[in-house]
Amino acid sequence: MTVRRGENGTIFLEGDCTVEEAEPLLQMLQDAPHPMLDWTTCSRLHTAVLQVVLAARPALIGPCGDPWVARWV
Amino acid sequence: MNALHEQFVIEARELIEQATDDLIAMERDGCAPERIDRAFRAFHTLKGSAGVVALPAMTLALHAAEDLLAAIHAGRLPASAAAVDQALACLDKVSAWVDDFEASASLPSNAGDDARLIAERLRALLSAPTSEGTAPAVGGAAPAGALPEWAQALIRAEGVTIAREKLPHRPCAVCYEPQAGCFFDGDDPIQLMRQIPGVLAVRIEERASWPPLADLDPFACNLRLLAICGADGATISNIFRLVPDQVRIVEIPSDAWPRVPAVEAADGDVSALVRAVIAEQRRVLQIASAPEDFVGRVGAAARTAANALRHGERTDLAAGVERAQTTALAQGSTAPLVSALAAILERPDVAIDSVDAPAVGLAAAPADESERRVSRSLRVDEAKIDALINLAGELIVRKNGFAHLARRAEDVGTDTDFARALRREHDAVERLAGELHAAILQLRMVPVGQVFRSFPRLVRDMALRLDKKVELVMRGEATESDKTIVDRLFEPLLHLVRNALDHGIESSEQRRAAGKPETAVFTMRATRTGDRFVLEVIDDGRGIDPATVRRRARERDLMAPDELAALSDEQVLDVIFSAGFSTAAEVSDISGRGVGMDVVRATAAQLGGHVSVSSQVGVGTTVRLDLPLNIALSRIMVVEAGQQVFGIALDAVMETVRLTPDRISQIKSNAGFVLRNRIVPICSLAEAMNLPASPTAGLETRLLVVTEVDGRIVALEVDAIRERLEVVLKPMQGLLSNARGYSGTTLLGDGEVLLVLNLREVLP
Repeated sequence: MTVRRGENGTIFLEGDCTVEEAEPLLQMLQDAPHPMLDWTTCSRLHTAVLQVVLAARPALIGPCGDPWVARWV
Repeated sequence: MNALHEQFVIEARELIEQATDDLIAMERDGCAPERIDRAFRAFHTLKGSAGVVALPAMTLALHAAEDLLAAIHAGRLPASAAAVDQALACLDKVSAWVDDFEASASLPSNAGDDARLIAERLRALLSAPTSEGTAPAVGGAAPAGALPEWAQALIRAEGVTIAREKLPHRPCAVCYEPQAGCFFDGDDPIQLMRQIPGVLAVRIEERASWPPLADLDPFACNLRLLAICGADGATISNIFRLVPDQVRIVEIPSDAWPRVPAVEAADGDVSALVRAVIAEQRRVLQIASAPEDFVGRVGAAARTAANALRHGERTDLAAGVERAQTTALAQGSTAPLVSALAAILERPDVAIDSVDAPAVGLAAAPADESERRVSRSLRVDEAKIDALINLAGELIVRKNGFAHLARRAEDVGTDTDFARALRREHDAVERLAGELHAAILQLRMVPVGQVFRSFPRLVRDMALRLDKKVELVMRGEATESDKTIVDRLFEPLLHLVRNALDHGIESSEQRRAAGKPETAVFTMRATRTGDRFVLEVIDDGRGIDPATVRRRARERDLMAPDELAALSDEQVLDVIFSAGFSTAAEVSDISGRGVGMDVVRATAAQLGGHVSVSSQVGVGTTVRLDLPLNIALSRIMVVEAGQQVFGIALDAVMETVRLTPDRISQIKSNAGFVLRNRIVPICSLAEAMNLPASPTAGLETRLLVVTEVDGRIVALEVDAIRERLEVVLKPMQGLLSNARGYSGTTLLGDGEVLLVLNLREVLP
């Protein structure tokens, strides 16, 4: 799993986040009233996952681990 | 190929034809709005169809052409020869692609590059600096007006941040709108963006505002990815080569760039900047968010928008925004503020994209045009019509058998009433069957205009290349002939047009010197006389000099010198139809290889017609193709030879003669006789068909059918001549299709199969 919910409700994106992660991520973001997202250890982000992040606008913890996303998005 | 693809191919070809017609007419008669509108719609529909069958490259090229026509329609561009040329070039490419698509259900691998090249050329015309019209309301940024709106917005939003950096020579702006379903195709749009070298700025935004999170489809891409980068267009195109339809690349001219930071740009791009700021605020307000953020968001957006307007010295509008803010807060909804901001964006004194507005209006027109002209014609596969013709043909043959029966009943003579009734019924059936057959043949009749249609374009292009002025006159386009004939007319006509334009019609100087109008008149005329279909190609050029023809024929050894000398001046002109004849001093890329006129004669002969030429030196030349009106029904003569029955096309039969043995002379191993001062060789049909000669051969009066094939006269010796028939000739099929010597088969009234000879192959 490269998307998981931490104990305090923070959602983590880790490692290589592929298109399959988009749906579980969306599900978690929908379930949480004030979602927090930690994507610092995500090494590579798929567009579909990024789209969910852009649409849901969760509170983000730290810069994205994917250097391109961190630099340009 | 599935039904959808087939439909696309048929429709695309029709649309290409129509668009070509309209473009040529546009150039010739000037820009009547209906013409441009029609051409535009043809391109528009074509683009839509290409989208349906998923041909992105085609869509891309057509889209650019459509934009060009929209600009012409809006009066922003003149319908110059260059514009028409490029639009026609685009159609040519699309037409070739349609052929490729029909053959292999896909486009060639370089289609994307070609498409981009076409699109670039078309867009170059669009962005060519024209002194009037393109200057937008915002002063100082005129060339930027040529940039698409998205690129302008991108530069406005990102330009300031990167203007301070050292800019590359020619930066490019990229706009990538992935298809909604792209994730299912395994695409990762960011992955493509990552590959862009020398990125200066990136913007990722939603195309449609986000739905509530619960309704979000995580697998439908709703993003627009924008970038400014230092790479050149070709490199970027290569990265996006698989999605040419979804990406737009423009080079940013240096003067489109905000050279100085925003503060100093105050006297330049004020409204552009203000507009961008306001648009951004509106966008922020439209994003769904938590209710507890509401007050803060409305406050921040209104404050930013108002400040921007004050900065642009529009204090009046700023006050309006603040009023809308109060209303929005009172109502607990962002709507009043959003609409207030939208209203400001729509004000002409704030708007900057007035240049693009007419294009948008025009593009929308075809969509809401509800009363589309419904074509009153029905599209039917040619094979189905042919099946019907075959059936009707067989009905006629069967009906002939009926006549046979009626005669027998009369001969037996036991019940004359019955015989008479049978005869009456037969007559009725005969009439109906005849009418049915004629009506079905009528289905195959198509107007010759179909083949004429390609020529305005051809004549135009050829005249341009030869630097001659030619007016094409077409008459009798509505004259109808059998589809087989009309379909095959293109090639001979093409050769005639080439010859006329290249050799027949003089250059403007020569025409002036000869006291002729500078513009030559080239006429294509179709008429119907009786059961013949006559096509004439007339030019008012220099005419054909019989002396030149004689000289050329001698030089090329086309004919024996004494034979040549015997021909009159009118007859000698026919030599131009011989293979290998050319009067051109040198071979040009248009004509002069000496094959053309030969093809004209061969095609006319294959269709059961003939070609003739008349010419007057200094006045012009007329080539006349005399063709049958339809070829589905052939007239044949039935003959017997070697105890078999054969059919001979009546067209080839000159006469029949009975000869006593004393009139036949033996020349070496060949027999011959003299017919009106000509020696006619005799050929035994039985022998030619490898059949045993009839036992009486050589003893008594001989029966000869004198035939003419390709100008050669040969007498065929037969045992008996039977009736003449009108038959439906069926081509040889299956195993027999390779059998030489036959042009087809037909059924006789008694059910016997009749083989119809192809004399060209039978005769030695």
